Amino acid sequence: MSNIITAEHITKRFSAHTALDDVSVEIPRGSVYGLLGPNGAGKTTLIRTINRITLPDEGRILFNGNPITQQDIFRIGYLPEERGLYRKMKVGEQALFLAQLKGLKRYDALVRLKEWFSRFGIEEWWNKKVEDLSKGMAQKVQFMVTVIHRPELLIFDEPFSGFDPINANLLKEEILRLRDEGATVIFSTHNMSSVEEICDHITLINKSKNILSGKVDDIRRTHGGNTFSVQYKGEGKALTEKLQHSCEILESEESAIGFSSLKIHIERDEDIRSVVAQINDTVEMRQFTEIVPSMNDIFIRAVNGVL
Amino acid sequence: MRNIGLIVGREYRERVYKKSFIITTILMPLLMLLLSAAPTLIMEFVDTDTHRITVVDESGLVAPSLKSDKEVEFVISDKSIADALTATADDESSFGVLHVGKEIVANPNDARLYTTSSSSMMLEENIASQIEKVIESERLKAYNIENLDEILDKVEATVHLTTIDKNEGISSTMASSLVGMLLGFVLYFILAIYGSMVMQSVIEEKNSRILEVMVSTVRPFEMLMGKILGIAAVAATQIVVWGVLLMVFSAVIMPALMPDNIIESVQQVQAGADVAALATQQDVAPEMLTALASILDTGHISMVLVSMLLFTVGGFLLYASLYAAVGASVDQAQDAQQLTMVITMPIIFSFIIMMMVMKDPNSPIVFWCSMIPFSSPIVMMARIPSGVPMWEVATSLLLLYATFVVCVWGAAKIYKVGIFMHGAKPKLRDLWRWLRY
Repeated sequence: MSNIITAEHITKRFSAHTALDDVSVEIPRGSVYGLLGPNGAGKTTLIRTINRITLPDEGRILFNGNPITQQDIFRIGYLPEERGLYRKMKVGEQALFLAQLKGLKRYDALVRLKEWFSRFGIEEWWNKKVEDLSKGMAQKVQFMVTVIHRPELLIFDEPFSGFDPINANLLKEEILRLRDEGATVIFSTHNMSSVEEICDHITLINKSKNILSGKVDDIRRTHGGNTFSVQYKGEGKALTEKLQHSCEILESEESAIGFSSLKIHIERDEDIRSVVAQINDTVEMRQFTEIVPSMNDIFIRAVNGVL
Repeated sequence: MRNIGLIVGREYRERVYKKSFIITTILMPLLMLLLSAAPTLIMEFVDTDTHRITVVDESGLVAPSLKSDKEVEFVISDKSIADALTATADDESSFGVLHVGKEIVANPNDARLYTTSSSSMMLEENIASQIEKVIESERLKAYNIENLDEILDKVEATVHLTTIDKNEGISSTMASSLVGMLLGFVLYFILAIYGSMVMQSVIEEKNSRILEVMVSTVRPFEMLMGKILGIAAVAATQIVVWGVLLMVFSAVIMPALMPDNIIESVQQVQAGADVAALATQQDVAPEMLTALASILDTGHISMVLVSMLLFTVGGFLLYASLYAAVGASVDQAQDAQQLTMVITMPIIFSFIIMMMVMKDPNSPIVFWCSMIPFSSPIVMMARIPSGVPMWEVATSLLLLYATFVVCVWGAAKIYKVGIFMHGAKPKLRDLWRWLRY
């Protein structure tokens, strides 16, 4: 039982469109799981389905191997994309209220909140009204109440939007810390660099469908697309003519004095050794490297359907 | 249950600790008393000057019978009308000249009031009725009937009917209807004020985006139930405070309004004394006495109060859940109008039926409307003071509260779908679809 969440063939239709179309996702316990996809792909709907906020038309969600129930909700912490707090309430009072709703006893909630307030260095906010906080401040408070009951599963919808780089970094560290303490983290994002830094699994959703799922390293390798960069000295024209039959030339940059460079794509069934031999025959090769694509490239290529 | 409790607490504190709440709660009864006392106060302070009217009576019959009072002082003059007018023209203390024609008995229209400023309706009424009396008695005299005054005294009669309900003792139809009407209106205001408060609060939550956090933590049913009960508690607090303050304030004013001897008579009526005799003795209307007697009858009033409380609470809860559903389905209060109209319709309908209760508290339509949950709070409330069998009250209450739970459940469903709908204004048809979702 290594999966904390298993979504099986989830389909969700709204009157005008289908938000999720037969989406299956397996989220391993203890992972940091990224949900990627362009705007409107269905990420938030999938998250809401996992949360039981919306019920799927077809398919089911398993939590630790069993169909998810209302009681499991206490074991999930959810930070929605559209952040909101009761504007007229005081910060501390509000945090206490939300923490108690998540099943904490009043006293425990108070102790833990004091701890978090001092960790974030925001003790003096306790008696401020929420409407007096800046957006970033309110987000911190909201993050805090999301994780206050130490849930097994944390779901963040676009957690980095609206944070400055310093606070985004703080958030990243907190997410990794929570993972180290044993929580599983799911988050949706557009921020690809954060995916490379902290996710170990991803699912890419596009147009309501799961188009790519797996470990980040595996995906980068398998979808590397056999792209290589070549640096050489010699006549570029001769080289491109020679290579044109065995591979696709993506970029070519020639220099009369220094090294010229070439970016090529080799078909999977083509033997790389023969390509290298061809290059060696024509020019003086200085470097031959595989380009492991960034998640950003994979994202864009996958969404455009050229993966 | 724990969650509902937490939500009730939050909703309650958020409202009750607000400055505006404390201020309105204290000021409202003062304002109400001030408003009810205003007419008397205005009479006391503003209208104290006496109008002096010079009377030129050519018939010689009217002038001797005119009685001066606080409002008007008649000065009889033997000048001709033209002279009287010129004489008073420059006199600031004179209000005007009343000219009564020679043949006033034969031609009652032959009376004119010349004034320097506009006169009041009450003044004109006063003068006209005094002249009328003179003319009437003059005309009667023309028939030459012996001992006329004596006969007239004997002929005059006022009938007052005292209704004795065999089960409940003295009851007064007038009092019952009035109490019922009053309760109906009270409920209506409670619905209007606090019902829309529920709606507002849902819309606010939706706009502040806190809802998604809430619905991922608690069930919509708990959320709604907590909200409705919380606001009901706010309403109860406010009404109790108002009631207490009103009682305290009126304890100071009441003795002035209601002399001791009337209270005494009321007690005597409750003990079964003869209403008419007491009424003449105290110089008050007999209806007034029975009304007071039945209102102040503790057994009767406690039964009325308990039922009133149950129906008010039930009615509020039922309608509040409907308001919540409307709040969940719109983005802004302005968009809610069409939908709130659907809610207000049964309330207005109930009022129409309530008027029919005055005619017959036991007619079939009234009976059924006091059973149907959407109209029962107002209609049954109007019926109760005139005596309704216990089983009817119990059935009606049961239906009311059962419907309330069903409505909250339905509203929670609409809520669950509606809160994530932004933009397009939903129609009734959409609500129906969401309900079956």
